[in-house]
Amino acid sequence: MNDATITVTDLRKRYGRTLALDGMTFAVAPGRVTGFVGPNGAGKSTTLRAILGLDTVDAGTALIGGRPYRSLPRPLTHVGALLDAGALQPSRRARDHLLWLAHSQGLGARRVDEVLALAGLTDVARRRAGGYSLGMRQRLGIAAALLGDPAAVLLDEPFNGLDPEGFVWIRGLLAQLAAEGRAVLVSTHLMGELQGIAQHVVVVGRGRVLADAGVADLLAAAGGGRVLVRTTAATDAAHALERAGAAVTVRDGALSVADLAAERVVAVLGAERVPFSEVAEHRATLEEAYMALTRDAVEYWGAAL
Amino acid sequence: MRRAVHAEWTKLRTGGGILLAPLVLAVAIVGLGAVAAGTAKAGADPGRAALAGLDLGPAIVALLVALPVGAEYATGMIRTTLAATPRRSAVLAAKAVVLGGPVALAGAVAAAGALLAGRWLGLDLGPSGAVLRAAFGSTLFLVLVALLALGIAVAVRDAAAASGVVLGLFYLSPVLVPLVRDPAWRRHLEQITPMNAGLAVRSLHVDGLPIGPWKGLAVLAAWAAAALALGAFALLRRDA
Repeated sequence: MNDATITVTDLRKRYGRTLALDGMTFAVAPGRVTGFVGPNGAGKSTTLRAILGLDTVDAGTALIGGRPYRSLPRPLTHVGALLDAGALQPSRRARDHLLWLAHSQGLGARRVDEVLALAGLTDVARRRAGGYSLGMRQRLGIAAALLGDPAAVLLDEPFNGLDPEGFVWIRGLLAQLAAEGRAVLVSTHLMGELQGIAQHVVVVGRGRVLADAGVADLLAAAGGGRVLVRTTAATDAAHALERAGAAVTVRDGALSVADLAAERVVAVLGAERVPFSEVAEHRATLEEAYMALTRDAVEYWGAAL
Repeated sequence: MRRAVHAEWTKLRTGGGILLAPLVLAVAIVGLGAVAAGTAKAGADPGRAALAGLDLGPAIVALLVALPVGAEYATGMIRTTLAATPRRSAVLAAKAVVLGGPVALAGAVAAAGALLAGRWLGLDLGPSGAVLRAAFGSTLFLVLVALLALGIAVAVRDAAAASGVVLGLFYLSPVLVPLVRDPAWRRHLEQITPMNAGLAVRSLHVDGLPIGPWKGLAVLAAWAAAALALGAFALLRRDA
């Protein structure tokens, strides 16, 4: 397989008075699913179009295996992309859409039928694309992205319009693509969609990277090492824990304990004979981690309008 | 380039019905020519009569080109095309080949058919050199119209706007130029407007025409080259 690493370095682009990209820098490594997350208008789609050589940038580089996209002779064998599942001519049959794309890369009808089967579209392959539901179009777009057996796959909002079955399918597919050693970048404005899918996330806002981290690290940081304690003797528990060096706040009828590990919390409460019904480490969701990161970077928030 | 042409051909072939357009073009040219040949007045140029259907050529060719190109921009599929073939000049050249090819084929068949029908209907076509020039030149006329339309369509990125521009360019000048009172100006305009200049080639008796047949085609070729340059500039410079 070709070198799959995608390196984006200091991309800058201005549309009139809007700064779309403001020093966007990150890399997409092979062998894992990287989430590309940010609010609408953060520059995700512009970045993807810049990587694919569709938009020119004012400054910076986007390289695939060290080469600019536009220098690749058969680019779909290096990078497969789903940008807009609706970008189909309605009168063309789905299979024919893949066929002309295949011909552009010197590939034949056999590969077309392979990706149609992979996307679960074999039975509807000869229907016109105009009759496809949004979910089917997403599958067709993913089939197109995989046509050239590319080392890197870029998917812009691939979960839109998918039914639960489609969601499970794409989850498995993304994991499989990463396990095969491909670099997979999935852009979405809903961080929650990436839970259990991405191993790494690049969070962007206002045209630049806010966080570029492993999902496990991000969750640990957002959790803040807090421990949740449920007890009927809240006052006694708080005093006991504070004597042991913890910072305690009351939240939703439970105690939120900082600066003390869960094991120590249990030990302290046990030693002081304070009854409790639950002690649990607070696990942040990706959504919470994301909200904390982008609070300042959301471009369109109510008050601003 | 070969792969780009293959892809564009598959795209055109599977786009639904657009390949009927060359057939319509040929039928219109032969049919209209036969009517004109049957009703031609004595002394009228036999080439102009037999190839009268060429008047409709730019309209049909403009649609044949503007519809598929415009649809590609309207749906956003152009991004898929340019991601698959990042060399944009190759994309434009491939489109020129796959759109110009069927027009050339249909045009050649139509011109030959129209001239044969004219002779069969009693037109005296005269020496074969001029007849061959008219047949070949008419084919070239239609191909140049297709290239001009392609350049415009890629520049304006919209089917309706592109066909509007092309139709205006070809059909407004024959209406407006005769309104010019000054004969010298009128003659000059007839030499540089694409319809008048380009169609000089269908006449068999060329003495007294405002512009010679090959010179006229050269004028149309210049229009087509300018339109293609405009399209290429837009395609290469603009974000997709």
